[in-house]
Amino acid sequence: MSAKRLLHGGRIDREQPLRFSWDGGNMTGYAGDSLASALMANGETVLGRSFKYHRPRGIMSAGVEESGAMVTVGEGNRRDPNVKAATQELYNGLVATGQNAWPNVRFDVGAVNSLFGRFFSAGFYYKTFMGLPPFEWGKGTGLWMQYEKIIRKAAGMGVASREDDPDVYDHAHGYCDLLVVGSGPTGLSAALTAAKAGLDVLLVEQNSELGGDLLNQPVNQSEKQRLNFVSKLEKAGVRIMTRTTAFGLYDNGVAGLLERVTDHLLSPDRHLPRHRFWTIRPRQTILACGALERTVAFGNNDRPGVMTAAAGRAYLNRYGVLPGQKIVVATNNDSAYVVAAELAEAGAEVSLLEARSEISESAMALVGNNGVNLHTRSAPLHVRGSGSVNALDVAVESNSGWSAHGAEPCDLVLVSGGWSPVVHLMSHRGIRPEWNAEQACFVAPANIEEPMYIAGSAAAVWNTDDCMKSGESAALKVLKALGSKARQKKAPVAGGWDTPIKPLYEVKVPGRYLKSFVDPQHDVTCDDVRLAHREGFVSVEHLKRYTTLGMATDGGKVGNIIGLALMADAQGKDIPEVGTTTFRPPYTPVSIGALKGRNVDEHFRPLRRTPMHTWNLEHGATMTMAGLWHRPWYFARQGEGISEAYVRETETTRRTVGLCDVTSLGKIAIQGPDATEFLNRIYTNPFAKLPIGKARYGIMLRDDGIVMDDGTTWRLSEADYFMTTTTAHAGKVMVWLEELLQTRWQDLRVHVTSVSEQWAGSAVAGPKSREVLEACVEDAAVMPNDVFPFMGVIETTLKGGIPCRIARISFSGEMAFEVYVPSDYASALMELLWAVAEPLDGCLYGLEALGAMRIEKGHVTGAELDGRVTIDDAGLGKMASPNKSFIGSAMRNRPELMREDRPRLVGIKPKNTSQTFNAGAILCAQDKVSGLGEGWITAVTHSPALGHWIGLGFISSGHEAWEGKTVIAADPVRKGNIEVEIISPHMYDPSGEKMYG
Amino acid sequence: MVDRISALAGYYRTGKFGILDNDTAGVILEDIRGLDLHQIACWPDTLDAVGKLVAKSAGCKDAPTPGKVEVGKKASVIRVEPLKWWILAAEAPEIDPEQGSTLDISHSRTRVRITGSNAAEFLNRHMPLDLREESFPVGSAGSTAIHHVGVTLWRSEQGYELFIPRGFALSLWEGFVESATQFGLEVV
Repeated sequence: MSAKRLLHGGRIDREQPLRFSWDGGNMTGYAGDSLASALMANGETVLGRSFKYHRPRGIMSAGVEESGAMVTVGEGNRRDPNVKAATQELYNGLVATGQNAWPNVRFDVGAVNSLFGRFFSAGFYYKTFMGLPPFEWGKGTGLWMQYEKIIRKAAGMGVASREDDPDVYDHAHGYCDLLVVGSGPTGLSAALTAAKAGLDVLLVEQNSELGGDLLNQPVNQSEKQRLNFVSKLEKAGVRIMTRTTAFGLYDNGVAGLLERVTDHLLSPDRHLPRHRFWTIRPRQTILACGALERTVAFGNNDRPGVMTAAAGRAYLNRYGVLPGQKIVVATNNDSAYVVAAELAEAGAEVSLLEARSEISESAMALVGNNGVNLHTRSAPLHVRGSGSVNALDVAVESNSGWSAHGAEPCDLVLVSGGWSPVVHLMSHRGIRPEWNAEQACFVAPANIEEPMYIAGSAAAVWNTDDCMKSGESAALKVLKALGSKARQKKAPVAGGWDTPIKPLYEVKVPGRYLKSFVDPQHDVTCDDVRLAHREGFVSVEHLKRYTTLGMATDGGKVGNIIGLALMADAQGKDIPEVGTTTFRPPYTPVSIGALKGRNVDEHFRPLRRTPMHTWNLEHGATMTMAGLWHRPWYFARQGEGISEAYVRETETTRRTVGLCDVTSLGKIAIQGPDATEFLNRIYTNPFAKLPIGKARYGIMLRDDGIVMDDGTTWRLSEADYFMTTTTAHAGKVMVWLEELLQTRWQDLRVHVTSVSEQWAGSAVAGPKSREVLEACVEDAAVMPNDVFPFMGVIETTLKGGIPCRIARISFSGEMAFEVYVPSDYASALMELLWAVAEPLDGCLYGLEALGAMRIEKGHVTGAELDGRVTIDDAGLGKMASPNKSFIGSAMRNRPELMREDRPRLVGIKPKNTSQTFNAGAILCAQDKVSGLGEGWITAVTHSPALGHWIGLGFISSGHEAWEGKTVIAADPVRKGNIEVEIISPHMYDPSGEKMYG
Repeated sequence: MVDRISALAGYYRTGKFGILDNDTAGVILEDIRGLDLHQIACWPDTLDAVGKLVAKSAGCKDAPTPGKVEVGKKASVIRVEPLKWWILAAEAPEIDPEQGSTLDISHSRTRVRITGSNAAEFLNRHMPLDLREESFPVGSAGSTAIHHVGVTLWRSEQGYELFIPRGFALSLWEGFVESATQFGLEVV
């Protein structure tokens, strides 16, 4: 290939030179160039190395189907591998390098693989290296695990950057009446027709400019028409998105789009995302995606200098590059004639190999005047040359097929093996395309029961004028579907060539070994397909997986039809009998960054902050995650780590008073005349007679009798309750209550509303807790023990006029209160409480101390209520009323759930109290440390009150059964085995004197 | 009475940021503080009666239908669910429990107003609601999700009014500020 930039023509701007680098060398292109066209104009031919054989590869196309010029663009943390040079817009300062080669793509040591190409057939590595005889006969893949690392290094594509991606990515949602995918003649016509009729139209184009195939036509021939269209579209209000690919279609017509916002810029504004991932919800869609030109399999058809005929035209007319001086165009259809004519017109010496025996007069006229040498019944057989094309061995049609017939010296071979309509997006919806034998391609079935129409060359309509009519007709159908009375116009039928296409997928002659590629990107050859057939992989789906045909980044755009044809030939069947392939999203690759959007780092999940968040931080909190919440973990003082801090906080709270942000507890308003009945049905214990101004601890079960959640519910008035749930299950309980009301108990007049965000809460715990609150409420008379006993609830006012709710409940085991204020007053609440508690030698405590105190007390949390535990297992069986029905009351009595030897909640202490042990350890009988053991440990802490480590857990039959016995806490992967004793879970103040006091 | 403190307090930075067009921002964000909000819920057979109470309380002719907002002489009312309204007022009307229930949720949401020429486009960077003029004109309301967080959106005469659960407000706000700079952002 000896390409040269023409002095005139093309859509590039010769006034705007762009400097770029290729494999370290400085080069120049022009604004409007693709990386491929600029490299071609700079005389570069070998741009890549193939996947398996490391064969030299060059530009094969001018679009998304590119399989040869796969390069790496960018450097450092912006290095992007496997970029198709044909679709990469050139910009000033672009840095591109070759990949999958050492030292470079022009001279690659890995090319030695090519010498053994005959052995590297489909499945070679697996057959050869798995179960390697004689070492691994019948034993499997041990050695393979080692070989694989080396093989993977030798085979492959580019390498992604290991550094963090510096770019941001965006998500976006869009709506329209009509989505038009593709802006060639069909899409332009469809969009304009629909917009003029008043529809809200979104036109999506993967290229940087509208026009589709019009961009590949001579500028003086098509540009006026194109600009006219664009101007009318803008006037009609069509929303236009360029550099945007509709990569997938989904349920209800939803389309996935990838917008490449800054890939064409060297230093984009840092506020712009690199890619934008669009979810479009159109009412209707027109697929005007065009068609992709197929190649033909023949010897060395992957050499740099072999490409599709349409690509030759694109480089000439769009980029002003004459891709070769002495060109052979090989075709089996009419579409290549205009290519041959235009190339000859531009100064190339052109021969046209026509596989058919007869052609039309108009086609003849097209090439006759330009000195194109036409050879009918001829086809390409084998390319001579390695890094470039020197000559083409020609085959002529004979009785038995093809026979060799001399050679044609040339530097470029352009091939047209027919056209494949882009039916990918339709295929994403599970609609199988049908084979059109006349046009030798797959097309959409006649009836599609989706809000979708397919038009233009995507429906195998080949002429520009017919495509426009096809687009218009599709738009009219859309209008009708949306209720308009627009007059319908008949769509042009598939076809448009004067002489029918002659199906041609492979050219071979008897007795001659040829390396003919079906899927160049994955180095799949015709012989691989035949081998698959011989070895029994006759289903298309098996063929794909065995040979990896169509599984490269082009998704089978290039090779699938040829592969099918070869398999059909091997089986003696027609193509449709062999089957079709299912295209799956994405149509072209989508960056991982675009999928994740802005949901990264601290925004990977939404953070939930309590209204005291800032106050907590200002007072020395170290935070931890509790679900989505950020909660104080501990408040370290000078010189303290977590261990010292939580022990001090626990000890201080038990001695004087501690404050803890408990806002994250779930809070639900239960309102309505039937609220009492509702609560009585969902809780295991009686709620029918809870007085106003009282709280009650309750447990709710699932339908299957397993504990769902626990918490306190406060009665505020006759028909108004305030329920608290655990932090972990707040959302689940809220949804569950709604479900019950909306599906099972529609007769109950109850509304449930989450008020978790409305109320901020602090626990005030410890012997001096009442003293603190007395100083904080406006009316201290509400606080005495007889007025405000254990489980009492009051609504009162704090100093400063802050309305509040206080319940006397205790999670710590001390006398304690939970105080709730409207969230915007949270900081004021903490200021108020702390101003009193601090001089009393009180403390702020976090989740770690909270956990320590509740373990000492034997109170359960989500760690214990893990979805396997019954109310009896948790030691709370007395709370299940035998006198009423409640959710789970029937199923909890299943024999399996009533077994006496079920694991029960117990306390655990080390036999040698200087030892520690871990949550997650398995409890085993001393003489049987194996298997699943007898139970497990859910939580551990150092107990300041007891002076040693303690834990909660479950063990079969409960603590009475293990009294006086030594049990092993087995923790084989961390600490080993520790001897422990099983005790009552109520390890601190079991009678509750402190709590009631 | 102590002052109310917004969920965004301490993190709220006014000014202009990002890609401005002649010093004009495409997106303008404002934390509307001191929200007064009550929920009024009814039973299926008291919908009309409670609706009239709601309308009277807000000073409008009728209570809004689902997905709509009525701006009354005394207060605005959003129909958030088939049997629930939100009234933007410091007090809720007295309702007998047999008729329905009221609930003060003034502190449960952070109200952010979004205006500017790119307001709708900006919102669609985050939420899947069709905000085109014919689908979501002034006086519309909808429930949707931003980054998995349930939010309520009202299109008022002033702009888009977003009600975010308070605990998530700062997290979403951080995302808003970051993503709005592509349109040019002004925080007022």
